[in-house]
Amino acid sequence: MKNHILFLFAAAMLFSACDEVSPIVTGSMGDNTGGGPVENQLRQVLIEEFTGVRCVQCPGGSIAIEELLGIHGEQLVAVSIHAGDFAPPYNDSKYDFRTDEGDQIINYLEKPAGYPSAVVNRKKFDGQFNLQLNQGDWAGSIASELALAPKVRINIEPNYDLASRQLTAAVTLFVDEAITEPDVHLSIMITESGIVDKQITPAGINTAYVHKHALRGMLTNWDGDPITESMTPGAEIEKTYTFTLPDGWVPEKCEIVAFVSLAGTDKDVLQAHQVHLVE
Amino acid sequence: MTTRFWLPILLLLICQIVGAQEAESEQSNSNQGRISGNLQLNGNFFMRDAKIGAANIPQYDRQLFGTDSWLNLNYQNWGFDMGIRFDMFNNSNLLNPTGSYSGVGIGRWYVSKKIHKLGITGGYIYDIIGSGIIFRAYEERALAIDQALYGIRTTYDLGDKWRIKALVGRQKQQFDHYASVLRGGSVDGFIGSDSSKVSLAPGFGVMARTLDDNSMNNLVATLNTYTKADVLAMFPDTIGKEGPSYNAFTASAYNTLTAGPFSWYIEGAVKSKEVFFDPFGKRITAAGDTVVGRYLNKAGSVIYTSLSFSKKGLGLTVEGKRTENFDFRTRPQEVGVRGLMHYIPPMTRVNTYRLPARYAAATQFVGEQAFQVDASYAVNKKLSLSANYSHIDNLDGLKLYRELYTEVYYKYKRKWTLTTGVQLQHYNLDVYFGKPGAAPANTITPYFDFLYKFNPKTSIRFESQYMSMSEDKTELADYGSWVFGLVEFTLAPHWALTVSDMYNIEPGKISPVDAATGKKEKIHYPRFDVFYTYKANRLSLSYVKQVEGVVCSGGICRLEPAFSGVKMSINSTF
Repeated sequence: MKNHILFLFAAAMLFSACDEVSPIVTGSMGDNTGGGPVENQLRQVLIEEFTGVRCVQCPGGSIAIEELLGIHGEQLVAVSIHAGDFAPPYNDSKYDFRTDEGDQIINYLEKPAGYPSAVVNRKKFDGQFNLQLNQGDWAGSIASELALAPKVRINIEPNYDLASRQLTAAVTLFVDEAITEPDVHLSIMITESGIVDKQITPAGINTAYVHKHALRGMLTNWDGDPITESMTPGAEIEKTYTFTLPDGWVPEKCEIVAFVSLAGTDKDVLQAHQVHLVE
Repeated sequence: MTTRFWLPILLLLICQIVGAQEAESEQSNSNQGRISGNLQLNGNFFMRDAKIGAANIPQYDRQLFGTDSWLNLNYQNWGFDMGIRFDMFNNSNLLNPTGSYSGVGIGRWYVSKKIHKLGITGGYIYDIIGSGIIFRAYEERALAIDQALYGIRTTYDLGDKWRIKALVGRQKQQFDHYASVLRGGSVDGFIGSDSSKVSLAPGFGVMARTLDDNSMNNLVATLNTYTKADVLAMFPDTIGKEGPSYNAFTASAYNTLTAGPFSWYIEGAVKSKEVFFDPFGKRITAAGDTVVGRYLNKAGSVIYTSLSFSKKGLGLTVEGKRTENFDFRTRPQEVGVRGLMHYIPPMTRVNTYRLPARYAAATQFVGEQAFQVDASYAVNKKLSLSANYSHIDNLDGLKLYRELYTEVYYKYKRKWTLTTGVQLQHYNLDVYFGKPGAAPANTITPYFDFLYKFNPKTSIRFESQYMSMSEDKTELADYGSWVFGLVEFTLAPHWALTVSDMYNIEPGKISPVDAATGKKEKIHYPRFDVFYTYKANRLSLSYVKQVEGVVCSGGICRLEPAFSGVKMSINSTF
């Protein structure tokens, strides 16, 4: 009998903590901070979404990214990489969004186990198997990265010649905190939004789907170009890239995305930044 | 930390192994200790075949070879049970079928001791409460499931027929652990005697989970992307005053009543209100877009029952189940087979033949109402008949799965046996395969299996099935219709050879298209196996070309991509 009482007591203890202090959920806040001149640049986080025109769940992920962009504004930089099993275009697709760089990047960061999936700042977060994150982990990972101060700030000065379609991008890195890792890379991407083409969605095939932030190409190598200069506090490192926009890319809808990342075992992005290709 | 933890255990075990071997050699008749173990080693050689979709993952592109291996050692002495398992994954596609995973280390260790009525186990624990609805820690290697509880279990015997159990720990996550804390317990009993015809085996269990701060912060950040209206609907006690709960509780009561030829199991479980992910739930964003897949904050319940009758060659089982909002995970962000803390019994038979097993119904944790009837009758020693019917809907009445499976078994002396029948299936591709707008697959699959024994050691077996697929608009649904054939030659007790082919005889909507002709291809998926068995050791070497499909274990399923290559395996028990 005594044992029965002990068990009931233990069971009661198990459930005794029913009253707890729950965290506060506010719903969408949309503060949209973090823009402005490079002097005041805050932490800007890169989210690389892996997607494909044959990926039925990916439009849901893209909507989630738009929601996150609505909240974090310029502090979040989104790139949609069409790569992996769902990326091959349909026979009647207008575009093939796949890129050589995207194929390399998905192998570099490892293919997702399921979709939607994204990599936030190329960082392996505690409790995760690898860099790929389920949609449920995006917002929290972005929030934890935004809480850190940037070690380096990035300025991009684009200069686009309409006639020749040549882009010159002057990228300057302002180092605020010593970066001691031996292998640090700078990556420059071109993304394009507002592209209307076929996409499968939960409601079926949508031939008028608007693709956003699609990775179109890179001005650097797919894993970035090594930064050979010393990255000590106060250092300013300037790089200039030129690139001719292929026909079909709409410069007014394009963004230049630059980010500084580690290139060893850890691949963490230290800071990201993006500007319109044409102001 | 990990090394510090397992190294002493490993050393202890090695000492015990050495000690045991020495003791065995010196005192062969003594009863010092007992060591046992097993090895499972799988090796995959990947051979790229882009046509069937076996391509574009690191293994096909550059790694070419991957292994998964588990070496398990158990030792018993002085009233202790202890064990250790070495796990190795090298360029493995087991954890993520479209990725590559490598990891080596101690996948499991445990020490267990019974002290009078008190039982103590520490380490990685596999256990179950009731039928697993509120808690099941288990391993299913084919699906890379290893839900061991890393913690402590104590049991206490109240007399001969009642036992109390308490568990606390965290769930294993490959070579790490999830941060959430799990705790629970059960009391299980038996009422009746060995001689009585009526007995009861009642039980009651509870399980609780406390979410870690990281997971909660992550969850809150995600919920903060929802509209205020959505948040208000989830937490109606005013925004800012109520949020997601760190603690989730489940409780379950169950009983098995045995009365003569009848056996009746019933279990009812409830779950407190907590945030979980509904993959089919919809929400509207602030921009007016509809998103499929959302978090809900609701309480859950499951009721499951099974009634069996068995007498004089007649067997009858009726099962029923209703599930509502019972997705219970170590953290709500986990999806698929990951992070599950429990197991809900499936309402379908386990099909073993290739084509009848192709469309398997995964357990739906958010909502499912189902029943199943299974009947078998042995007419005489030569002839037996059986039939099974499964019926699964979601809670809104949407038809998810139907299956009628019939089987006739005939045995002619000891010379040959024939197993034949037909399967009729209705399979909701939209829900189970996540293919929106896809028409359900309605299949008719006759099959036969003929075994002929030349002598007691030599036999040949033929197996064949044909799956007729229904239409989806102008084409056949999914991959269309299939035919499958297999020949197996056995030279007991050591050798078995099989040759089989699965042929897409009438390609369907998603069958690969021949780039040259623009027509759907009729592709062969051949397989050759050689098995060698020696005592408790089994080796196999197989050439496999396999179409994408679903792999399930007990209703827990995942999509598997196509495979092309050579597989080898070693299974050894010692």
